[in-house]
Amino acid sequence: MGCSSAARDRVQRLCAAARRIQDPSDPLGREARERLPAITGLSLENVELALSRCLEASPSEDELEQLTRGVAAAPRAHVLLSANVFVAAHRAIALALAAAPRVFVRSSRREGVMAELLGRADPGLFERVGELLPNPGDHVWAYGADETLKAFQAQLPPGVVLHAHGSGFGVAVVQHGHDSTLDWAERLSEDISLFDQRGCLSPRVVLYQGPREGVESCASALSRALERTEARIPRGRLHATESQMARRVSDTLMMTGRVIPAGKGWVGVDAAGLGTFIPPPGRHVVVSCCSAVEQWLHPHRQHLTAIGFSGDPSLRDALSDAVTGARISRLGEMQRPPLDGPVDRRAHSVRMT
Amino acid sequence: MNSVAHDEDPQLASLELHRRVREFARGQSTEPFDELALSIARFQARHSPGYGRLVSAKGAGFGLLEDAPAVPADVFRILRVSVFAEGDDVAVFRTSGTTQAESGSHYFRSLDTYDELALRAGSWALRRSDDQLCTPVALAPLPKTPNHSSLTHMMELFMTGFDGRAFGTGEFNARVAERWLTSEEGVDVPGLYRAAEVAGERGEPLLVLSTSFALVHLLDALKGARVELPRDSVVMQTGGFKGRSRIVNELDLRHDVALAFGLEEERVVGEYGMTELSSQFYEGTRPGASWWGPRGQYIEPPWARIDAVDPETLELLPVGEVGIARITDLGNVDSAVIVQTQDRVRRGDAGIELFGRTPGAPARGCSLATEILLGGKSPAGWDTH
Repeated sequence: MGCSSAARDRVQRLCAAARRIQDPSDPLGREARERLPAITGLSLENVELALSRCLEASPSEDELEQLTRGVAAAPRAHVLLSANVFVAAHRAIALALAAAPRVFVRSSRREGVMAELLGRADPGLFERVGELLPNPGDHVWAYGADETLKAFQAQLPPGVVLHAHGSGFGVAVVQHGHDSTLDWAERLSEDISLFDQRGCLSPRVVLYQGPREGVESCASALSRALERTEARIPRGRLHATESQMARRVSDTLMMTGRVIPAGKGWVGVDAAGLGTFIPPPGRHVVVSCCSAVEQWLHPHRQHLTAIGFSGDPSLRDALSDAVTGARISRLGEMQRPPLDGPVDRRAHSVRMT
Repeated sequence: MNSVAHDEDPQLASLELHRRVREFARGQSTEPFDELALSIARFQARHSPGYGRLVSAKGAGFGLLEDAPAVPADVFRILRVSVFAEGDDVAVFRTSGTTQAESGSHYFRSLDTYDELALRAGSWALRRSDDQLCTPVALAPLPKTPNHSSLTHMMELFMTGFDGRAFGTGEFNARVAERWLTSEEGVDVPGLYRAAEVAGERGEPLLVLSTSFALVHLLDALKGARVELPRDSVVMQTGGFKGRSRIVNELDLRHDVALAFGLEEERVVGEYGMTELSSQFYEGTRPGASWWGPRGQYIEPPWARIDAVDPETLELLPVGEVGIARITDLGNVDSAVIVQTQDRVRRGDAGIELFGRTPGAPARGCSLATEILLGGKSPAGWDTH
């Protein structure tokens, strides 16, 4: 395991680099705020919120210990970054640095700013490359859509160990009557709004555990909260395909249930639990009445990365048992897991043969 | 406009609309297409709860046909799209999803209109005249009972309507192995030769009804051999290769099929239909076809229309632009007269060009691509009539 003090030092150096980017008065921090909105399509406010709340630049000692202990040592580490969630580059590189003294990073073609700024903040800490060339025995951490990772895996040489983190999504579970509606709705709206819902932790479905007649008020409360959140964190631009899919899903929901406008997004109401709708990113969410949450979660466990909840504390254990690979957190914390290991806890490590 | 208390008897209203549609299709009506379509849409808004909700949610009026909301084809997989209750079903056609939970269902209280429209369209596209007899066979397996495939139903309809005679002596029965020439063992090539022989002895064309995929299997089975067909024979080809392990170039397939059968390529006629519709669209390439059109353009029969709409706004696009297909089908009296598909289309000079399904929102980064999955059928008591 890569728990040597050298490994911790490397990760701490990266965190120091991240703190520079977090700091709006640092030239790199200023540059981040200038460049990231354009390249990610997120509003400046969303970038700011992500930098301040989601960039895990100050882990605790315990978290560092967990992170470094949980990573296998490797002679060299390689990282294939995804786009969508720009802060993810930090954690991905941290894991690699915990594993190996020599780290190569290939950014997504769609977003390479974060890795670049981290690299400039501490030159020599890792190497940015255009192509990853792992040797047998090296470890590769790859992030992205399942299809991308499949293609990437196919070209890896034998002996390379691949840790793949593919497509995923988040779910929120709300127990009726436990917390104040206003409270959980506000917290959930921030989870949804961060990164315009494009991350693998982003909640896209709300499972409401309560009487069917409560679903509408739950959805209405969430739509109002999303509107308020949008007022301070505007939504960025959507891709054409995202808009098209949003339209398609909302029209379907209008026939099977209801759609409540929520600023530029919407909240769909599936009171009868007729279907499993996983709406497109862009601050669209479906609220489903669901008495047997574990039954709903089970068939989706392969893709579930995060479950946020509002309810009795015992719900945490029940959810954790139901989906062992997902991070369980309170609503409002879904997009800021501690830096104690990969965001995605689903096990996908394989040695190429 | 929502489902409201109305003095109308929905069954009688439905029968009346069916009558008007059939008259329209026969050319016996002066009622404009748009007006009839709007009448059906209003009827559906009153009696199909899901459509009523959609109309209400969109605040849609029924002033112009283009303003009437379209039912997303996805809904057929989730909800009963129908103006009548389950007890009145005489037929259910299902899409070919991987599991039953994924397949869409189209319910029919009567197939009279469906059958009449299918025979009319099939006749002009595939036969020289309305009374020309031919010998239809299908490169498809023998239908199951009950049959839930709209394509199989149509094939059987052609066997009955365009032929109606047994190959040998005895009573006609469409559901015999000599008409359905594929099985788990593969394509019945001797059966195909036999059918061609029967058609030849009768002095009439053979009509080969097939999916593209079955034609590929046929060519594999023939291994370069030919099946000479009688004069005026036609091959109806439908479907693509979605989800199949093998994809063959469309043009190559047409060419090879025509060669194998000794036909001009124009006699391999494409058909476009879907479970969610009652109507079909054909290429007008058969020599002598009254509704002629070049290869690759699918002709709309008078009772159905395909419009290309913007995938984001669903607004009508100008002629020549590629959009997704909004299909108005007068035959869908009891389900959804306007269906929104994800098929990419463009209006050509004579008909509609097809460009395949819009891909689902592609996965970008680690976020799961959008899906509309199914949690199971509608629970009893919800959305009943």
